[in-house]
Amino acid sequence: MSDTALAARSPLAGLLRPGRQGARGDLPGVVVQERTGLQIVSLAARKGQEVPLMAAVRAAWGIDLPTTPRRVGDARLAFVWSGPSQWLAVATDWPGDLEAALRAHLGGLGSLTDQGDGRVVLRVRGPHARDALAKGMAIDLHPRAFQPGDVAATLAAHIGVQIWQLDEAPTYEMAAFRSTAGSLCDWIVAASAEYGVEIVEPG
Amino acid sequence: MSAPAMILPRQAVATSAAGPAPAQPFRLAAGGLVDRTATLDFTFDGRRYTGHPGDTLASALLANGVRLVGRSFKYHRPRGILSSGPEEPNALVELRSGARREPNTRATMAELFAGLEARSQNRWPSLRFDLMGVNQLVAPILAAGFYYKTFMWPAAFWETVYEPLIRRAAGLGRAAGEPDPDHYEKATLHCDVLVTGAGPAGLMAALAAARAGARVVLCEEDVRLGGRLLAERRTLDGLPAPDWLRGVEAELRAMPDCRILTRTTVFGAFDGACGAVERVSDHLATPPEFQPRQRLWRIVAGRQVLAAGSIERPLVFGGNDRPGIMLAGAVRSYLNRFGVAAGRRAVVFTNNDDAACTVADLAAAGVAVAALVDMRREVSPEIRRIAEAAGASLLTDAAVTRVRGRTALRGVEVTDGAGRRHALDCDLLAMSGGWSPSLHLASHHGGKAAWNEARATFLPPEQLPPGMAVAGAANGDLLLAECLAAGARAGAAAAQATGFRPAPPATPSVDGESTASAPFWWVRGGRGKAFVDFQNDVGVEDVALANREGFRSVEHLKRYTTLGMATDQGKTSNANGVALLAELSGRTIAGTGTTTFRPPYTPVAIGALAGHHRGKAFRPVRRTPTHDWAAEQGAVFVEAGPWLRAQYFPRPGESDWLETVTREARTVREAVGLCDVTTLGKIDIQGPDAATFLERVYINTWKALPVGRARYGVMLREDGMVMDDGTTARLAEDRFVMTTTTVNAVRVSQHLEFCHQWLWPELDVQMISVTEQWAQIAVAGPRSRAVLERVVDAPFDIGNDAFPHMACAALTVCGGIKARLFRLSFSGEMAYEIAVPARFGDALARRLMEAGAPFGITPYGTEALGVLRIEKGHVAGNELTGQTTAADLGLGRMMSRKKDFIGRAMAQRPGLTDPARPVLVGLRPVDRAARLRGGAHLLPRGAESTAAHDQGYLTSVAFSPALGHWIGLGLLVRGRERMGEIVRAHDPVRGGDLEVEVVPPVFVDPEGARLHV
Amino acid sequence: MRIACPFCGPRGSEEYTYLGDATVRRPEGDAPSEAWFAYVYLRDNPAGRHRELWYHGAGCRSWLVVERDMRSHDILSVAPARDMALARGRAA
Ligand SMILES: [Zn+2]
Repeated sequence: MSDTALAARSPLAGLLRPGRQGARGDLPGVVVQERTGLQIVSLAARKGQEVPLMAAVRAAWGIDLPTTPRRVGDARLAFVWSGPSQWLAVATDWPGDLEAALRAHLGGLGSLTDQGDGRVVLRVRGPHARDALAKGMAIDLHPRAFQPGDVAATLAAHIGVQIWQLDEAPTYEMAAFRSTAGSLCDWIVAASAEYGVEIVEPG
Repeated sequence: MSAPAMILPRQAVATSAAGPAPAQPFRLAAGGLVDRTATLDFTFDGRRYTGHPGDTLASALLANGVRLVGRSFKYHRPRGILSSGPEEPNALVELRSGARREPNTRATMAELFAGLEARSQNRWPSLRFDLMGVNQLVAPILAAGFYYKTFMWPAAFWETVYEPLIRRAAGLGRAAGEPDPDHYEKATLHCDVLVTGAGPAGLMAALAAARAGARVVLCEEDVRLGGRLLAERRTLDGLPAPDWLRGVEAELRAMPDCRILTRTTVFGAFDGACGAVERVSDHLATPPEFQPRQRLWRIVAGRQVLAAGSIERPLVFGGNDRPGIMLAGAVRSYLNRFGVAAGRRAVVFTNNDDAACTVADLAAAGVAVAALVDMRREVSPEIRRIAEAAGASLLTDAAVTRVRGRTALRGVEVTDGAGRRHALDCDLLAMSGGWSPSLHLASHHGGKAAWNEARATFLPPEQLPPGMAVAGAANGDLLLAECLAAGARAGAAAAQATGFRPAPPATPSVDGESTASAPFWWVRGGRGKAFVDFQNDVGVEDVALANREGFRSVEHLKRYTTLGMATDQGKTSNANGVALLAELSGRTIAGTGTTTFRPPYTPVAIGALAGHHRGKAFRPVRRTPTHDWAAEQGAVFVEAGPWLRAQYFPRPGESDWLETVTREARTVREAVGLCDVTTLGKIDIQGPDAATFLERVYINTWKALPVGRARYGVMLREDGMVMDDGTTARLAEDRFVMTTTTVNAVRVSQHLEFCHQWLWPELDVQMISVTEQWAQIAVAGPRSRAVLERVVDAPFDIGNDAFPHMACAALTVCGGIKARLFRLSFSGEMAYEIAVPARFGDALARRLMEAGAPFGITPYGTEALGVLRIEKGHVAGNELTGQTTAADLGLGRMMSRKKDFIGRAMAQRPGLTDPARPVLVGLRPVDRAARLRGGAHLLPRGAESTAAHDQGYLTSVAFSPALGHWIGLGLLVRGRERMGEIVRAHDPVRGGDLEVEVVPPVFVDPEGARLHV
Repeated sequence: MRIACPFCGPRGSEEYTYLGDATVRRPEGDAPSEAWFAYVYLRDNPAGRHRELWYHGAGCRSWLVVERDMRSHDILSVAPARDMALARGRAA
């Protein structure tokens, strides 16, 4: 016996309230937003199946799976490199079940695992986004070293994250394990405080 | 003696309710880089003074005629200001008050701000009348090595008498003793070229590299760029130094990829990165809102140019620590940068040409120069001319042999080569023993500084840290023209090495200069104590004593005498100490060598090293999907590895945790409970070879496990010890989900990747963590099925026949939510674990509580979980110590003999199969009312309580609600052969000693009947 | 110390976990106990070049074989452990 479906709860519920924090001034130096409407599925090539797997992805969605730390695709569906022969498929407002769609096209070429609930994804942008991120991330985010489409799996404030850059604003998205959402947000808000930080409604 | 005409007492500018602040009688009428349009009030030892923006505390104190600023470490001798920079060994003061009180701040580095409160240290009851000055009278017992000699006997006196006495009498400032109210930050900077030091060499290096397009970081310890140029009257390209500096700074600041960090000290050259501290708010009373007090930078640079300049050496002569005796370069710095005369009548004492600049600058500022005392027999005509122009008598082949004055210098006696004595009145003695390169960072990778006889100084080692070049005075170049050219060359080379094409750098033309010097260090036969290391009160006789007693290695000398230790790390004393030891022991300086420089170059606050990560942010915290729900239920949380887990859920009226935990455990045995078990590691293992892979990492077999079933597995390390355990379920022919213990999740994942990538890359298997994807809740107890039936969507049958113990399935719950159901039990009761996508975990817990309400459901935490598993004899972290084998834990029969697996071979070695090993047993108190204590040692009855009789210990204990008394699990030598034996649980830490009976480890339902209902 | 992951690029050592000697080979299951003892416990500590296993746990989760000069910490080469293991398998 059962009744109505369960209510979903954001990993940041009660932890990240929209509004302005830190230094005042006209424009915030950093804008932080929780991403919603995402489906994330990890994909790992079966042994020796990289070439047919890439062909199948190209045939189905016109995307060339990246073989270096890059993100390829668009806002609707992108593949994010996450290790040798491993990717995260990240879709926004995908109609239906992304894992099922991937399975239908990729079958026995790769191992698929639903990861959408296991991650919190933050969008961080603004003129001081780099300065704030540098307070917890040791990778080089200077435009000469890291550009739109680039991806890194690394640490942010001792928390494992995958970060990718979307545009030159700069806008970054950062995916971390769901359970670390509170510590991650505490850090990014503290690191951004001197520039003024705007927390915007999830979207 | 009348005051020189040019030093005019300033009109008191600032006034306040407390009356006019005193004037600054030693401030020059004009000149310097201080802002004379503004006046800052500050206090020193409670007295009010004024200074100007741009002053340091030291320059402001000197402007006010304050000479005596502290007492020395050991002998409480009066001390003044020696230097004008980071090398200051004497003028250590306490700044601020309350929680922001900070000891051992160098007055020469503290920028003056309005309202600054400074206090002298190490004096009691007051600076001028320091009773501990009697230490000077007992100086013989405080000589080198006194710690090791004087306080040897009786040992009992050490803690009660000697140590408190020494701590009172010696030592430096006091820490605040309250939590630091400010915050600190850590950040990383990447660049092509790091330049350390913004003096002439560093500025040229930064210009050359930045003009070539390289990303440049220029770190300067001072608030201003310029280094020694700020302290000297020099012209570059026909411009006065300040004007030339303005142009260079403007050009650097206009380049977007050149970052200038002032107030920033590079304190260490580490493997792959340099550490630097930016004193963001140290120059302010309190940090501005949202600004840190300090920021620690990790700077990752392709190449680096060390242009840290040099430090002037004092001369070693009797009474050389008297307030009013100062380094000659510092005297110029106070004159030219701060517009302060450090005295009214000076004597300059030197072994080199450079100090003649001090004579000229003092004279130009209107300060009387009584004499230039040069240790050399011959000096150049130029120096004679300077002395003559200054009206100073020139005494060559001469040395200061006596000083007058107690808390301030009143005069000196000079003895010349002919033995004539000259008594000279003076209140300032400017001394120079030459300059030592600030090469510390250059030897942070272990390279030893090398003595250069021609330049009479230590130079940077040949083996520099990778990517480092040293330029300018830090490399022994003392002429400005050399420094500028060397800096430009080094900057261009660094840019070239990082992929840029620098243009050949042009260097500015400069006015004439000379730096000739002679290696004289030490004046023999003078009167009074001659100090080598001011901060540690190490004198010539201490070095001599160490030498006599055989401590002739410089490393031994350092430890025995403490020369070169403490906050200044021997910046002014190192070269003199080595030279002295060399002379006393009849060796060359090169043969004597120098001690190793290690990070940090200057002290670094612990707060800066911690940055954001203090208090609640000490380390990342992982919260379960049901955390907020559990908090609403009043849960008490406990750290389990990085996770916060609900430990127990107290209810109103329950008097202590034990009552709560007992109620929770009993409810599970009698009705039903739920517990969030999301934190157990979950690894999705897929691929055609998944089962083969499990066979190799677990001790038991997996190929035959049917789809839809789970099995308990044990993993060993290759050395044969148990690494981890957990259940693994087969979701499909080629897919398993493995569970690990909470704390070992990361370690197991790493181990599995190792096995796959390194040992068996031929296997077609893929793994990824799904710990966070699924919220997993255990529902345990005889009514668990009744609760779950209300949640699981029809028509799925969870009855015992359709879904028996160790079954698993994918299904939906609560009207279409995808879920995984496992029939697993850690409690020994009929039990399930239900997993839903993590976003639904919170709602599922609430739904299960509603569904379970009619059955009396309770949430339970990790404590009750522990009670239930101890009652069942299940092992957990307390037993998986890394020193236990599968056989020790009663799991030996699981080990397959038909396959290879990690740890199999080593588990069979004699040491691990010895029947005398401690093995898992149950233990219960003979006196059933007695309480067991975890960690108590197991001893045979009647045996003496010694380590020789130790036979094991209690690993886990609990009050068993099912049995009504305390029970325990333990590891006991030959335990399985000793059922029924009475042994002692001896607890020397908490003072317990009681008799316990050895019993089988499964206390409740040993047949397992309750699992299968 | 910084190690250049062949996949991720240069990263600080805080992203890696050290395991140890990459020159030892796991014996076959039926190998004599001396071989197992050597594999599990006996390690060279050369004053010079050495090959070691490091795990890029905070990055791409690759095991790497890092060749390092034990005296200077200079890193001479970094290669994916899996590629080396496969090559070793082919060579055997
Ligand atoms: Zn990597």
